[in-house]
Amino acid sequence: MKAVAVIVGVALLLLYVWERNEIVRAGYHIERLKEKKVVLQRERDGLRVKVSALTAPERIARAASEKLEMMPPRPGQVVLVRARPDIPVQAEDKDKDKDRPAGAELRLAKYDAVGKMP
Amino acid sequence: MTTKDPYRGRRIVAAFLLMMGFVLVLFRLFSLQVLQAEELTARADRQHRKTVTVEGGRGGIYDRQGNPLAINMDVPSVFGVPASLENPSGVARDLARVLHIRADEIEKKLKQERSFVWIARKVDPEQGRSLERLSLDGIGTVLEGRRFYPKGPLLAHVLGFAGMDGQGLEGIERRYESYLRGEKQLVVLQRDALGRTVFPKGLNEQAPAAGHTIMLTIDEVIQYITEKELDEAVAASKAKGGIAIVMEPRTGAILALAISPKFDPNIVKGISADRWRNRALTDAYEPGSTMKVFIAAAALEEKVMEPGTMVYAENGRMTVANTVIHDHEKSGWITFAQVIQKSSNIGAAKTAMALGEERAYRYLRAFGFGERTEIDLPGEAAGLVKEPRDWGRRSLASIAIGQEIGVTALQLVTAASAVANGGWLMKPYVVSDIRSSQGQVVAQFGPQVRRRPISAETARTLTGIMEGVVTNGTGSRAAVSGFRVAGKTGTAQKIDPQTGAYSSTLFVGSFTGFVPAEDPRLAIVVIVDEPHAEAWGGVVAAPVFRKIAEQALPYLGVSSRAPVRLAMASY
Repeated sequence: MKAVAVIVGVALLLLYVWERNEIVRAGYHIERLKEKKVVLQRERDGLRVKVSALTAPERIARAASEKLEMMPPRPGQVVLVRARPDIPVQAEDKDKDKDRPAGAELRLAKYDAVGKMP
Repeated sequence: MTTKDPYRGRRIVAAFLLMMGFVLVLFRLFSLQVLQAEELTARADRQHRKTVTVEGGRGGIYDRQGNPLAINMDVPSVFGVPASLENPSGVARDLARVLHIRADEIEKKLKQERSFVWIARKVDPEQGRSLERLSLDGIGTVLEGRRFYPKGPLLAHVLGFAGMDGQGLEGIERRYESYLRGEKQLVVLQRDALGRTVFPKGLNEQAPAAGHTIMLTIDEVIQYITEKELDEAVAASKAKGGIAIVMEPRTGAILALAISPKFDPNIVKGISADRWRNRALTDAYEPGSTMKVFIAAAALEEKVMEPGTMVYAENGRMTVANTVIHDHEKSGWITFAQVIQKSSNIGAAKTAMALGEERAYRYLRAFGFGERTEIDLPGEAAGLVKEPRDWGRRSLASIAIGQEIGVTALQLVTAASAVANGGWLMKPYVVSDIRSSQGQVVAQFGPQVRRRPISAETARTLTGIMEGVVTNGTGSRAAVSGFRVAGKTGTAQKIDPQTGAYSSTLFVGSFTGFVPAEDPRLAIVVIVDEPHAEAWGGVVAAPVFRKIAEQALPYLGVSSRAPVRLAMASY
């Protein structure tokens, strides 16, 4: 009986020591993960700053005009249209419209010009 | 028969000595564990625990579309421990190569008799990595939050900037400091023999909350358009500077606020306060003829004038209190509408005289002149509107043509918005809501009516007259193709600081208006300070109004009502 008690006592002691050891080990692991998180957060913040700077309207406008040779639309070049779901889609005349890009007439029939951009 | 143990005495002595040893150990144990327990526990705690102050990151500032305008990032700061340096000169040379700071400056710091010195704070992350690779003894880095303004000078005068220790010093950064600053928290860490952190005290410890996020009413794209057009006009007219504000007349929300010349809030060192001051609300100026709109509003509201009322313009010259008021265009009898459209000083002075001092003063105050608009930005000036008892004999006529009165650009656009929206004076604002770091809205700001200076009918009549300024008057260069524009030009003489009298060479050209006149979406004020050559508001400021409106209206999806001819494709 005494021997059993001693064995149980020693086992409990070992279990306690093992638990303490695991807690410390987990602590170190958590700290390593925290450091990794900080590094990743710094990387994310850096990328965020970079994306914001790259999407600045001034930079986009400069790239559009200098690299892509784009320019703002001249007065009258932009026409706003409004969808007209009440107007039925016209039947397509396949022979007449064989060279027409797909869907072009459909758009003309269904949309109404509502205004012209300056 | 028993035999006598010859070693008995020695064993007793050995046992006694052992016993004494145990007693000594027990006594020492008792002393350490019981008598000195409190002191030693405290000492162990001090050695194992480290208390550090942790601060949550500063909150970001975003435009109405959620585009970041001010954000935080952790960057390295470099410090030195002079006592542990054997060769400060060599270390200074190595640091100078990486940090691009003069070696002698660094060496001076490293030779100080101090245990800790900052060498460079908030440096580029790449420089921090280079230093880590060098691994210099006695030199270390710590991470600190640095404020970045990724769009550079865009909206700089509104955003303001934060100082080296992350405290807001100007603009939104200063006004909303208490919201933007992250939470401070003391964190207790447990360290092992090597000084590594083993475990935070308690697993459930939360990191300190980051500062709140500020969402602005400003639209990044409209802000860019406004700044670009203002800068171009200021450069073209070789002006000293300029101001442009774009407001939503129905709400008072500021969509853009531009000041020229600009500054980059990322690099404020060496820039004078004069450069970063938000002159749109801190500086009052004599507005000139734009003030005629508000005198006209009062005259219409009080039924002193109607658009068709005939006014004699004295052929361009009228004497008031022994001084002469001139018109730039000599006219005889003109309608009240033409007084505004031709910007007749004599007609405006006569209108004010017909109105009388008390009523003129009451309406000017009702439109918000002489008091702060209470915009949520720091440093706002009230402007200057003297009380009638302090007026001279010419004051009423002078005020009618925008002299003897000081207004800010913000007051002007707010008052113009009141004409645009049917008579309601709104409180301007730049922050739409404040959100916690978790994204929950903690405060929301919306349109606030301050008062109603004029009725809807007066506003409608005045709008019609102001449309005439653009179609038949001095503001023709503000006309936007396909839209009805209402506005008023202003050309004010500045006081010559040398003589104290009105200068014949220093002017402020301005244009204040709104578009589309029938359903205003934008109220815009443009002020060009001291333009060279042509100084007329209709020449230097009205085109800026047009260019801003031409680009901002399609961006907002506002379409013209002009007839459209569609060329139908045939196949």
